Amino acid sequence: MAVKTFKGGAHPPERKERSSALAIQRLREVKLVVVPVNQHFGAPLQPLVKVGDSVKRGQKIADAEGRMTVPVHAPIAGVVKKIEPRTQSNNSDGSCIIIEALPPPAEGQPVPAPEDLADFMPPLDPFACSKEEALARVRAAGIVGMGGAGFPAHVKLAPSKPIALVIANGAECEPFLTIDERSLIERADDVVEGVAITMKIVNAPEGVIAVEENKVHAVPLLEKAIAASPRTRAGMKIRVQLLKTKYPQGGEKMLITAITGKEVPSGGLPMDVGCVVQNIGTLLAMVEAFKEGKPLIERGLTISGGACTKPANVIAPIGTPVADIIAAGLAQVDEEKLGMVIYGGPMMGVAVPNYQIPVQKNTSGVLLLDTIESKHYDEETCIRCGRCMRACSCRLSPALLAVAVESGDYKEAEKIGLLDCIECGTCSFVCPSHRHLVQRFRVGKQILRALKQKEAQNAR
Amino acid sequence: MPAKGLLLSSSPHSFTPVSTPKIMLSVLIALIPASAYGVYLYGFSALALILVSMASAAAAEFVFRKLIKASTTVADFSALVTGLLLALTLPPSTPLWMGALGAAFAIIVAKEFFGGLGANPLNPALIGRAFLLMSFPASITTWTLPQGLVVGPDAISSLSLSQGAVDAVTAVTPLGLIKSGKTLADVGTYLGTHSDGELLKQLFLGFHSGSMGESSILLITLGGLFLLGIGVIQWIIPAAVLGSTFLFSWILGMNPLFSLFTGGIAFGAFFMATDYATRPLTPKGQVIFGIGIGLITAVIRKFGGFPEGVTYAILIMNIATPFLNKMRVKKYGFVPPVKPAKPSKEAAR
Repeated sequence: MAVKTFKGGAHPPERKERSSALAIQRLREVKLVVVPVNQHFGAPLQPLVKVGDSVKRGQKIADAEGRMTVPVHAPIAGVVKKIEPRTQSNNSDGSCIIIEALPPPAEGQPVPAPEDLADFMPPLDPFACSKEEALARVRAAGIVGMGGAGFPAHVKLAPSKPIALVIANGAECEPFLTIDERSLIERADDVVEGVAITMKIVNAPEGVIAVEENKVHAVPLLEKAIAASPRTRAGMKIRVQLLKTKYPQGGEKMLITAITGKEVPSGGLPMDVGCVVQNIGTLLAMVEAFKEGKPLIERGLTISGGACTKPANVIAPIGTPVADIIAAGLAQVDEEKLGMVIYGGPMMGVAVPNYQIPVQKNTSGVLLLDTIESKHYDEETCIRCGRCMRACSCRLSPALLAVAVESGDYKEAEKIGLLDCIECGTCSFVCPSHRHLVQRFRVGKQILRALKQKEAQNAR
Repeated sequence: MPAKGLLLSSSPHSFTPVSTPKIMLSVLIALIPASAYGVYLYGFSALALILVSMASAAAAEFVFRKLIKASTTVADFSALVTGLLLALTLPPSTPLWMGALGAAFAIIVAKEFFGGLGANPLNPALIGRAFLLMSFPASITTWTLPQGLVVGPDAISSLSLSQGAVDAVTAVTPLGLIKSGKTLADVGTYLGTHSDGELLKQLFLGFHSGSMGESSILLITLGGLFLLGIGVIQWIIPAAVLGSTFLFSWILGMNPLFSLFTGGIAFGAFFMATDYATRPLTPKGQVIFGIGIGLITAVIRKFGGFPEGVTYAILIMNIATPFLNKMRVKKYGFVPPVKPAKPSKEAAR
């Protein structure tokens, strides 16, 4: 199989060997969950429950009108204790619904039947129902892109342009993270089924499961699952594509370019080149939403890092404080060595002040970095070596873009392509002077957007 | 929960092990073969020139930055690189104080006046050399024969080189001979070779008069390939410089291989034109930058007053760098902007 890739990129230390062989474990006992009301990219939600309400597992607890909204469900059965702002995985405070689990039934009391505790939807056959029904199910199940951005899945699955290719994003290019790798290995059938469901919804003739070369051992399993799938037997075309192990290979645009050779036009979406890209976690959530009627109330994530003495791949209810996963013994941390806590991967993840912060729909991993790994460097002067220019996967000339942003020349910055920056952080990673390049671009993008908005208002 | 302060910072949280001092150190390492061969050819005085120039460059940077109350940057080794590069472009017989002066001028005027590392528009080492060439033209154009190379009186008389100006001690470079109207065969006679092939081989290996940086093209190329191999420099500029020098020399009626194997073109292509701060960052800009250097070098060698033109060729193209940086590659997903339709005359009324 030809190994494909994109131009540019970098090779941060992978560190996946710490957890890549560990089977996914399920967190059983959860006493409390802190469920952020807003976990998607789009309009804000309103809580549908009040303090003191009893909720069932899978019951909708927050929703809103509007296309760019995705409801949130109770991950466990219990009682709403509080609704208050808490620190979320993006390190800012947001309204959270805090649910305490029902106490275990006292001695002699009858154990409540599972159906009394759970409130799932009836199963739905995605291959028999209409497209509208399927999209309604995806939304009702609260599914968002689980790779990080939290984009509403039902919007992505209703493209206004014809789709030629569905890509399952198994690249998992962020160092440390192995949850997608484990899912590909342990749940290959469901991954294939998820691709098939996506293909059915967007009416795509072809599906590709893309994995980086460092997960080549998953390929035979996936190929076996593809061969055994009733969908491919019924004529659906699904295949596996190997990609070079390189960051940011899992970026949506880089993935599309590697596989199809096409580039998503500036300011456009994958559908503009006939593609839909789905995260592995998202595919699994979709399979469960149709098969079991189960909304997105739990997800897999990797807990790793140098200060994590016992790394793990776990499935935990959304809202579980990561500290509770550790307290349950699924993972261990060496407090002495701990220097940094990151929600997400080391390249794009967010540093947070503690690991009490709950697991969210887009939390693919939690890294407990040791003090050596958390070493940061003072910014030095740019020596114009050009490493960022060659590494930028979007060919944005970061060294020149940084000069434009620093000097406040946003016209030039926009021309160079500030708004096209995917914020992958490769430029900052490769910089021998440790320049805060992507950090400047992040701030610069917001300023430029604000300037453009102002301009548009003035023009009116 | 952890009570102690955890580090909070904006991603990425992973960093390359490459650093500025490591890059500079690798350049110094790449220059060791050429420098060692220079010391072998010219003895202790060459070694002294190298050391004095490097020390002066480092000291100038340290003192100047102390004076202007800026952070100390000597530990990034970039001043040492400038000092070494300068020494390798000078005649090995250059008085030590002159080398020291040139290095200090290079660092203070060409580098620190503009803000230090990365901010200088012109190659500091070449500015240092140009400054010395202007100030002490006699010393900077006086060459000596390498140890072991004997130019017989026969050769000198047959080439009618005046005994006073060129003798067993003072020498003339191959390019100098060509500039004074001699032919390739005359250069061969001077160096005691018997055929063009033999002459080119000797030039390539480096047994002739000149600065240390223009002696052994072989060792300079090896150093350059080392830097290419470890990714400190990229191939575009050296390829464009050497390729265009070959081409334009040929067009102007010079022996193209002789042009590549003499003078500072190889040294310039691998070590001077690739200087980070003064070369364009964009690939397209680098191609034009390299071609410009080759063209100007060939033109100066053919028509200019000096036998060699690499210094000025690179400095002139350095000036074009900010402009060449505008030639960016098209960004990912580039969509050509839709030109607003010109309002027709009808509509204007």
